[in-house]
Amino acid sequence: MTGALLVVTEVSRRFGGVRAVDGASFTVQPGSITALIGPNGAGKTTLFNIVSGFLRADAGAVTFGGRRLERLPAHRVARAGLVRTFQAPRILTRMSVLENLMLGSLDQPGEHLGRAWLHGPTSSREREVRAEAMATLELLRLTPLVHAYAGTLSGGQRKLLELGRALMATPRLLLLDEPLAGVAPALAAQLLDHITTLRRDRGMTFLIIEHDMESVMSICDWVVAMDRGQVLAAGTPAEIQANESVIESYLGRVQSDDGAPHAPRQSEDR
Amino acid sequence: MMHLLNPQFWTFVGVVAGIYGLLALALYVQFSMAGLPNFGHVAFMAVAAYTMALLVIRAHVALGWASLAGIAAAVALGFVLGIPSLRLRANYLAIVTVAGSEMIRYLATNLSVTGGPVGSMGMLGPTQFATYTTSWQPFINGVTATLSRWVGGVATNDFSMLCLVWTLLALLLLLFRRLEKSPWGRVMKSIREDEEAAASLGKNVYAFKLQALTLGGILAGVAGILWALEIGVFAPDDFQPTLTFYAYLILILGGMNRVWAIPAGAVLFGALYSGTRFLNFYPLSLVDSGDRAYLRLLIVGVVLVLLMAVRPEGLFGKRQELLLEK
Repeated sequence: MTGALLVVTEVSRRFGGVRAVDGASFTVQPGSITALIGPNGAGKTTLFNIVSGFLRADAGAVTFGGRRLERLPAHRVARAGLVRTFQAPRILTRMSVLENLMLGSLDQPGEHLGRAWLHGPTSSREREVRAEAMATLELLRLTPLVHAYAGTLSGGQRKLLELGRALMATPRLLLLDEPLAGVAPALAAQLLDHITTLRRDRGMTFLIIEHDMESVMSICDWVVAMDRGQVLAAGTPAEIQANESVIESYLGRVQSDDGAPHAPRQSEDR
Repeated sequence: MMHLLNPQFWTFVGVVAGIYGLLALALYVQFSMAGLPNFGHVAFMAVAAYTMALLVIRAHVALGWASLAGIAAAVALGFVLGIPSLRLRANYLAIVTVAGSEMIRYLATNLSVTGGPVGSMGMLGPTQFATYTTSWQPFINGVTATLSRWVGGVATNDFSMLCLVWTLLALLLLLFRRLEKSPWGRVMKSIREDEEAAASLGKNVYAFKLQALTLGGILAGVAGILWALEIGVFAPDDFQPTLTFYAYLILILGGMNRVWAIPAGAVLFGALYSGTRFLNFYPLSLVDSGDRAYLRLLIVGVVLVLLMAVRPEGLFGKRQELLLEK
C-alpha cells in the first residue's frame, strides 16, 4: 500500500523454539486509529516491541515514514516520531507527575551534560517545557495532581499519565499497549475520547493493542487480527467482525437474533 | 590518651569526613541519580592514588599532572567495568564492581611495582624509602602559612587540608545540585526509576549511564588523590571494601536522593565513627583497650541500627519515597 505511515513486512521473531511473531505484515495509514487484536500469545506485544525498537526482529522490515527502523535502538525510534506506552504503565514513581511529563519532551538542549548547568529551572526552554506539561495535564484533567509523586497515582491515572508523557514527545504515531486494561469505565470513556480528539486536532496516528472489542470496534477505522504470530486478517471493523477465521480464533461465535455472528465483549483475560 | 576535645584530632576527623563526603558524592551521582549500584567504589580511589604515586615516584612526573593521570585512570577503570556490564541489568554492575575492586586490591598487594603489602613506601623496592609528597609538603606548608595570618595558631597542615577539602566539596555540591535540577538530572533520575521508560521517550540510556560512571570516576579519583596526600603513605589495606560501604552509609544516614544529605551524612558518620574512640569512661573503662576497639565498632553498628529504626529516610530524606515502589 502506498502512502502508509508504518509498513511492517514479514517480521519474525523466535524465543527458543517458540515463533512469537512469524512473518507478520501489515500497514498503518496516516491519521488512522488502527487496532491490533488477537488472543493472548498471538504475538501482539512482541510485534509492538519490535516496531518500537525494544526488541530486534530475526527477519523482516519496519518502515516508518519511508525510513527503515528495524535496526534502530528504542531511543532513536522514539526520536523518529514513533512513541509507545506499555501494557503495565512504566511511570517514574519517585518523581512528580510534572517531572514525568517534562521528561517526555524531546527538544531539551539541557539534557546535554555540557550545557545542563545553563538550563536551570528558570531557563526559558525549561519554562516552555513546563508550560507544555501543564497544558497536557489540563487536557488529561490531572492538574490537581501536578506535584504528587507519580507512585501515588491509581492504575487508571497512571495510564493517563503515561499517555500524557508520550504526547509530550509529539509523536506522529503513538503505540498504545492495552490502554483500557484495568481502567474504570468512566476513565476508559475519557481515554477513548482523548484518542479521537488527538487524532482530529493534531492529526496523530494510533496503533492500539486492546482486548475490549466494543471500544475497538467503536473508535478504530482499521483492525489487524493476529493469531500464533501471524496476521490472520486486516480490514474495517465490520469486515473483521464478519471474518470467519477471526471469529474462530478470537471473537467467538454468538448467534444473535438476526443470525449474524456478533462479537461478544471480551473480559479482562490477562 | 588523647583528650576528647583535642582540636588536632577533630581537624583530622573533619578532613576524613570531607574526603568520605567526596566519595559519597561520587556514589550519589552513580547510585542515587542514575541508579547504578557500584559496590567497588573504593577501587576508583585506589587506582587514582596508585597511578598518581607511581608516576611521581617512578617516572618523576609533576604531582599535578600525575594527579590528573590518576583521575583519568579511575575513569578508565569505570569504562573497563562498565562497558561490558551496563547493557545488562543493574545487578551485573554490582557483581562486576565488587569483583573488580577486590582484584585491584589483591593485585596491588602482590605486585612488586606497587610496593606489595607495604604500599607506596615500597614502590622503589625494599632498600629505598619512596615518597610522593615531596612537592606537596611545601605547597601545603605555604597554604598553612597564608591561613595562619588570619586564624593564627589554629592553622596546621591538617587545618589547611580541612579548608581545601570542604571548599572543594561545597563547590562540587553546588555544581551537582544545579545539574540535578537540570533536564540532564531529570533524565538521570528517570533512568534510576525505569530505564525502559526513559528509552521509550528518546533518551539514550547507555550514554547517560556512561556519563554517570565517568563523573563518579572523576569524583572518586579526586577523593583518592586527596586521601593519599592527607595520609602521606598508603598501603593496599587503606582501600578495604568497607570504605565503599562507608560511602553508602553516608548516603543512607543523610537521606537517599538528597544532595545536601551528603555533607550532613559525612559529618554524622565522621563524628560517630571517630567519636566512639573516646568511650574510655566508666564503666567502659573496665574493658581493656584492645577489646574496646571492637566494642567501638559494635556501638557504631547499634547506633546506626537505632537511627535507621527511628528515621529510616535518613536526616533529610523523604519517607514517602521509601514507600513508593519502583
